Amino acid sequence: MEYRFDIANQVLIFVVLSLSLNLLIGYAGQVSLAHAAIAGIGGYAAAKLAIANGMDFVPSLVLATLMAAAAGAFLSVPALRLTVQHLILLTLAAAVVLVTIANSTRDLGGAYGLVGMPVPSIFGKSLAKPSQFFWFLLCVSAICALLYWRLADSPYGRVLRALREDELAARAVGKNVFVYKVQVFALASAMAGLMGALWAYYLRLASPVQFNVTQSLLLVTMVIFGGMGSLLGPVVGAALIVVSSPILEKNLDIGAEKAALIRLVIYGAALVVLMRLRPEGLIPEHFSFRRALARLGLPLPGAGAAAGQQSPPPAAGAADPAAPAGPGQPDAGIDIAARTPVVTVEGLRKAFGGIVAVDGVDLALRERVVTGLVGPNGAGKTTLFNLLTGVIPPDGGTIRLKGKDITGMTPDAIARLGMARSFQDVRLFLRMTVLENVMLAYSRHPGEHLPLLLGAPLATSRAERRARELALECLSFVGLVDKAGMLAGGLSFGEQKLVAIARLLATGADVLLLDEPISGVDPQWVDRVALVIRALPAQGKTVCVVEHNLYALGQLADHCYFMESGRITAEGSLQELMADPRLIAAYFGA
Amino acid sequence: MDFRGELFPQLFTNGVINGSWYGVLGLGFALILTVTGRFHLAYAVTYTLAAYVAVALSQDVGIPLGIAFFLAVVVASLSGVMTEGVVYRPLAAGGGGLLGIFIASLGLTIVAENLIRLTWGAGSASRSLVGFPLRPFTVLGVTFTSLDMAAVFTAWFLVLALAFFLSYTPWGRIVNAVRVNPEMARVVGINTERVHWLVFAIGSALAGVFAVYAAMRFAAVPDMGLQQTLIAFVVAFMALGTRPVSVALTGLALGLVESLSGLFLSAQWAPVVVFGVLFVYLALRPVQLRLALRQVQRLVTA
Repeated sequence: MEYRFDIANQVLIFVVLSLSLNLLIGYAGQVSLAHAAIAGIGGYAAAKLAIANGMDFVPSLVLATLMAAAAGAFLSVPALRLTVQHLILLTLAAAVVLVTIANSTRDLGGAYGLVGMPVPSIFGKSLAKPSQFFWFLLCVSAICALLYWRLADSPYGRVLRALREDELAARAVGKNVFVYKVQVFALASAMAGLMGALWAYYLRLASPVQFNVTQSLLLVTMVIFGGMGSLLGPVVGAALIVVSSPILEKNLDIGAEKAALIRLVIYGAALVVLMRLRPEGLIPEHFSFRRALARLGLPLPGAGAAAGQQSPPPAAGAADPAAPAGPGQPDAGIDIAARTPVVTVEGLRKAFGGIVAVDGVDLALRERVVTGLVGPNGAGKTTLFNLLTGVIPPDGGTIRLKGKDITGMTPDAIARLGMARSFQDVRLFLRMTVLENVMLAYSRHPGEHLPLLLGAPLATSRAERRARELALECLSFVGLVDKAGMLAGGLSFGEQKLVAIARLLATGADVLLLDEPISGVDPQWVDRVALVIRALPAQGKTVCVVEHNLYALGQLADHCYFMESGRITAEGSLQELMADPRLIAAYFGA
Repeated sequence: MDFRGELFPQLFTNGVINGSWYGVLGLGFALILTVTGRFHLAYAVTYTLAAYVAVALSQDVGIPLGIAFFLAVVVASLSGVMTEGVVYRPLAAGGGGLLGIFIASLGLTIVAENLIRLTWGAGSASRSLVGFPLRPFTVLGVTFTSLDMAAVFTAWFLVLALAFFLSYTPWGRIVNAVRVNPEMARVVGINTERVHWLVFAIGSALAGVFAVYAAMRFAAVPDMGLQQTLIAFVVAFMALGTRPVSVALTGLALGLVESLSGLFLSAQWAPVVVFGVLFVYLALRPVQLRLALRQVQRLVTA
């Protein structure tokens, strides 16, 4: 019996370790090869506190958890702006350093580790036997699993996945990616540290081999095996890998050491094959037991909930996809100058090395006006957008949004203040559903903030309902409600551009900067996208469009600026601009 | 922590020896990474394999050392080419990104290391390669061996030869072209597949040569590849340029830093120094700037 409990304990520890690693790798997209080392910080801390300071079981667990969390947060700071390969390298380096320190410090027991930990006990009951330890470990693991589930399958997890998909786009819809990264590193490390401490108590030993790079790689293997970013995947991965070792031992009648080696060979080979045949792991991210059962022809539990039923019938929005009408004309009668400027730009300048991309630009975006920005390639239009939204800092000049100086602010702060942009290359979160893409943009969601997510579940679920309603409204505005449940990566380019507009709308920003919303779209989509944009001012939006499709821009823009070589050289209606032979020459190249 | 200045000449010499070594390994890794874009952790497999093949051929089969050396390098080269052909290319064709390839590479490394453990005994699979006319020299109180000298000369010969190859031969220029812009290279009619093979063959051969030296200098052990690959990673990532000489000099610098840390610390802390340097570098390097620039470039030119 004790033998089974022993295996169960190992399974629990590795399940929680891989769940916490999945938060990092699968959800936030932060590949860490230092997870076992971070767990080791917890393990060594608990061991040292128990042996040298005689600290009790529970307080030492708490301290160990906190120390690991601090280490994780520390590690996240250099990790903030690294690419995947640099992050792999950085965490690898951190792991090697930590293990070497453990190996070569006499106070930490060197290669033998810290031995002779006291028997853990709680409420006076000893946890010496595996069966006694099991129940306590089960409770702790259940709490960790609940926390994991709450973090992963929630608005918070949605933001993490957005980080993984496209950091810049996440910032563009107002998410402070730095805060999320630090938090997720700290949280995942805290869980790992707790498990490391429990493992040390269980074995009454904290040694380098428990927490070395091979162990970290094994944890990564478990996560990938089960399925990155899937809620349950890591449970399956960890359980399978841990249990296989004793099974091999028993059935092949070989020593534990040899079984461990064979197991590693099998899993290494399986990783290679898995990457080829099923890179998403055993349980993929968007796996649904319902759909799997349906595919097997089994009756659905809770009958009636058919797949695809999620999306409500399309509401009759401003731009119903069925509406055959072409785009409307800009209102001929509006008096541009009478409208209040919402965004004013003065003397904006940006140089890349010797090339002055934006050279003293002044412009105003007026309330509920669609302003066009035209000019030849390389005129600096996109750079101007990047400056306006804080993606790059200007060298000089000021940008005011509703009277407030926003020069030098970060993209997410500017988005939260009410100016958001779309991207030329769309940048949807491709491995998330259309609905999730749009819901993510809902601002001030309590469920995206850790204390509120955990402390105010009711407010969170209320906000989640509101976000959902809003997202569906925005999707119906662009006429794509029926695609709400699809993965964004499965949409056509035109549809993606419309979803991007819906996402912009859902941010609640009043000023929308659209970077080539029509270019590259199939002809039959051009009118539809134009129609949607044309309907924005009526929703109270101030819009600025960069667009090369002059036909479409003519339908859209109330007012245009002509930009060449980093300067604004003319303004007026598009017809006026295009009547000027010099501008025509500048635009089409004479 | 006491300063032991009298050790300087010896430590400096050791640093040059190890650093030359690191430079070549980093160069092989960097060549593969920059030209093919593969995050080739299985460089470790090539390295370990070459060492064990040399030992097996020389000691178990009885082939003369020089020929065993040569055959081991050929095997190393082939193993790299096969990894590309059998694992990476199909993965990349199936849409496996950088992470997918890295993970497959990780799987290969785990398989190879443990197969070797299973084959040569789990406890001590350590095998050393003997037969090199090992002679110690002492010059001005600094001790080194004939093997160290051979390794350093080989290292710099290979670095310069590769530099010459890349700069002055048609094939070298093609490799450079693929490194700078693979799509454009394909458009102008370069067979990038063949270039990948060539690069894997060269990079893996470099690893093979120094794996055999490692088997002679220390011993062949199952995890020797992973340690050296980590160092090759560090060198490749920290190298400021992609030119062979600058990569090799980065390796040399790393070797010197590692070795000279022995003036203050005991030798077991050397990995902490190496990876500590990397950690600080990654944390502080102007990644932000470079990344931001690249993003902007993409937005501007799209």
